[in-house]
Amino acid sequence: MNTFDAIVVGSGISGGWAAKELCEKGLKTLVLERGRNVEHIKDYTTAFLHPWQFPHRGNLPIQEIAENPVASNAYTEATRQFFVSDKEHPYIQANPFHWIRGYQVGGRSLTWGRQCYRLSDLDFEANAKEGIAVDWPIRYKDLEAWYDYVEDFVGISGQPEGLPHLPDGHYLPPLEMNCIEDHFKKKVKENYTDRLVTIGRVANLSKGWKGRGPCQLRNLCDRGCPFSGYFSSNAATLPAAAATGNLTLQPDAIVLEVIYDEKSRKATGVRVMDAHTKKITEYYARIIFLNASTIATAAILLNSTSKAFPQGLGNTSGQVGHNLMDHFVGTGAQAEFDGFSDQYYSGRRPVGVYIPRFRNLGTPATQKDYLRGFGFQGAGSRIEWQDMGAAAGKGGFGEDFKKQLLKPGPWMMWMGAWGETLPYFDNKVELDPTQKDSWGQSLIKISFQYQENERKMRKDIQASAEEMLHKAGFRNVHSYSHESPAGTAVHECGTARMGRDPKTSVLNAWNQMHDVPNVFITDGSCMTSAAWQNPSLTYMALTARACDYAVQELKKGNL
Amino acid sequence: MNRRKAIGGIILTGIGSALAFSGYKWHDWHKQPDIHWLEQHKDLVSALAETVIPETPDSPGAKTAGVGEYIVLMIRDCTERMSANKFIDGLKELDDYTRSKYKQAYPACTAAQQKEILSRFEEQGKPFKGIIGKAQNRYLGKSFFTTLRELTVSGYCSSEAGATKGLAYLYIPGAYHGCMTMTPGQKGWATK
Repeated sequence: MNTFDAIVVGSGISGGWAAKELCEKGLKTLVLERGRNVEHIKDYTTAFLHPWQFPHRGNLPIQEIAENPVASNAYTEATRQFFVSDKEHPYIQANPFHWIRGYQVGGRSLTWGRQCYRLSDLDFEANAKEGIAVDWPIRYKDLEAWYDYVEDFVGISGQPEGLPHLPDGHYLPPLEMNCIEDHFKKKVKENYTDRLVTIGRVANLSKGWKGRGPCQLRNLCDRGCPFSGYFSSNAATLPAAAATGNLTLQPDAIVLEVIYDEKSRKATGVRVMDAHTKKITEYYARIIFLNASTIATAAILLNSTSKAFPQGLGNTSGQVGHNLMDHFVGTGAQAEFDGFSDQYYSGRRPVGVYIPRFRNLGTPATQKDYLRGFGFQGAGSRIEWQDMGAAAGKGGFGEDFKKQLLKPGPWMMWMGAWGETLPYFDNKVELDPTQKDSWGQSLIKISFQYQENERKMRKDIQASAEEMLHKAGFRNVHSYSHESPAGTAVHECGTARMGRDPKTSVLNAWNQMHDVPNVFITDGSCMTSAAWQNPSLTYMALTARACDYAVQELKKGNL
Repeated sequence: MNRRKAIGGIILTGIGSALAFSGYKWHDWHKQPDIHWLEQHKDLVSALAETVIPETPDSPGAKTAGVGEYIVLMIRDCTERMSANKFIDGLKELDDYTRSKYKQAYPACTAAQQKEILSRFEEQGKPFKGIIGKAQNRYLGKSFFTTLRELTVSGYCSSEAGATKGLAYLYIPGAYHGCMTMTPGQKGWATK
């Protein structure tokens, strides 16, 4: 009754993939999710509401912000049901770190940014070439077919561009650029040979795909999509897993630790607490996939102590919880444009434009005084009432003010960078020895500081954003750079890194624990470096690849 | 001195002197906002909102859009204390001024009288320009007029009347067209 072929901890973007792959390969699979169940469509309670149906029109009461100072940065009155309350789930910030969580079936796959980019060998080789941290144990050729595989299922709209450092994938038709974006794209092409502007590659279905979608261009994705217009565990992988008849989904199940058997030198299962009754249950399986998310997965490992692993499961390297990374954001520019005044757009496109990395590409011309690089996301639009705030129009009130307010304003464009953060040993996740949460579990303590490399990159980002907008003929160019707290990008990764050497890494080239061969970790914690791309697609590809390997090993009797 | 430090200096000096000048008001700004009084003066708030966004032949005004109720709710729930106090105190001041000058309440005044009154309070409430103004809003709270206009705009544009009749609202667009030529009298989109 409590024994399965496989256990998957977590039902977010990578857990959903593990569930689908393992179930489709015939394994009786138990998926444990610490949060509530969210049934696709039925539980998207705000999805069809009009703006005026929210009492505060999307704004949050100040009392709620005070109680949830971190999470409230990420949600609105329309999406709060998919975010974890800081008050109910406290953690310790040794330095400011925004840990944005989604405890529910589907996890953060319901609210993700949906941008899907492949990594390349520029990324997989960087650590080794630069002597940073440890080498990735894989290269692009190891992952390429798995990128193809997951893209074919997910459905990603995008434009192939032929860039070696941002490999093209299998795409549905790209979404259109608007006039100002198109103008910007042309001007960037005229002025630069090292960079281009492309439409964002995004897991929104520009046409119907595998019985899902198409996207209705409402741009209300993070309320959950009743049209299945974007990829989430709830819309895509979990239904596929369930269709096999092999899936058992258990919400409200908090995994406390992985149970380790010294005799067999394997994990035998997990110890679970019911989130409501606090009753403890053990579940057993031949293989275990940890997909609880970077910080939570590290915490589970650190909490799984035994005689063999006094420092936490599979932690003989001492690397578990360390090398925490996130993309840094908060630097960019915006500007206005005179022209195209008779042009407008229709529909609400759920993605903007993208400027792939153009620094440190291995040629002298692209070399800067820092390592790695960044990609810009941006968007053009006409200034609307939301952008005007107190400065609406030229001041005043009454009929003229109203007239100005209700018509489309001048065109504007903003762009902001997602920059690669290096892995630093001291950026880490620990368990606090004394403080506990409502379930009696040790509070998680996060330490994180940016360093010189990120600061230097910020300067270059700010200057290059400003320069591009100037060269493209924009006016009123305003660049900005503020060191927003780490975690803001919600791309945390690196706490159980892959590597070639068990002495310096936690996982091998198959996302398998060096120390405990029947435990696999394929969420963000496996990342050896953060790379500069949005990460979710890579987690999906790594998960599918690891599942394939794990099942082969099972069949061979190696696990 | 580099630019960043120079700007920092201006902010500190700006706030410093503003605080010294009006330091005695500190307590006043941080008191418990008088929400009870505010709730009893919804009609006044509605009338003011209507002056900011009046009904015109082509579209309804703030009153029809229920902006008065929205503003009261937003001041109660979503406005930090200093701005809430400045708003309620500003309303009281405006009420007193109206009654002493025109011998009647604001909603009963003529459109011309209302315009004179609100212009006076707009002038009073103008923040300093640029970065000092931003710091002023952030650290000292927004002026009565700034809050009134911001909430009238957001309340109107997100209301059913404002979004569907004042602006253009597409519930389920179904498609995205990046470039289209505007029609005469093209209205802005209500949602992004």
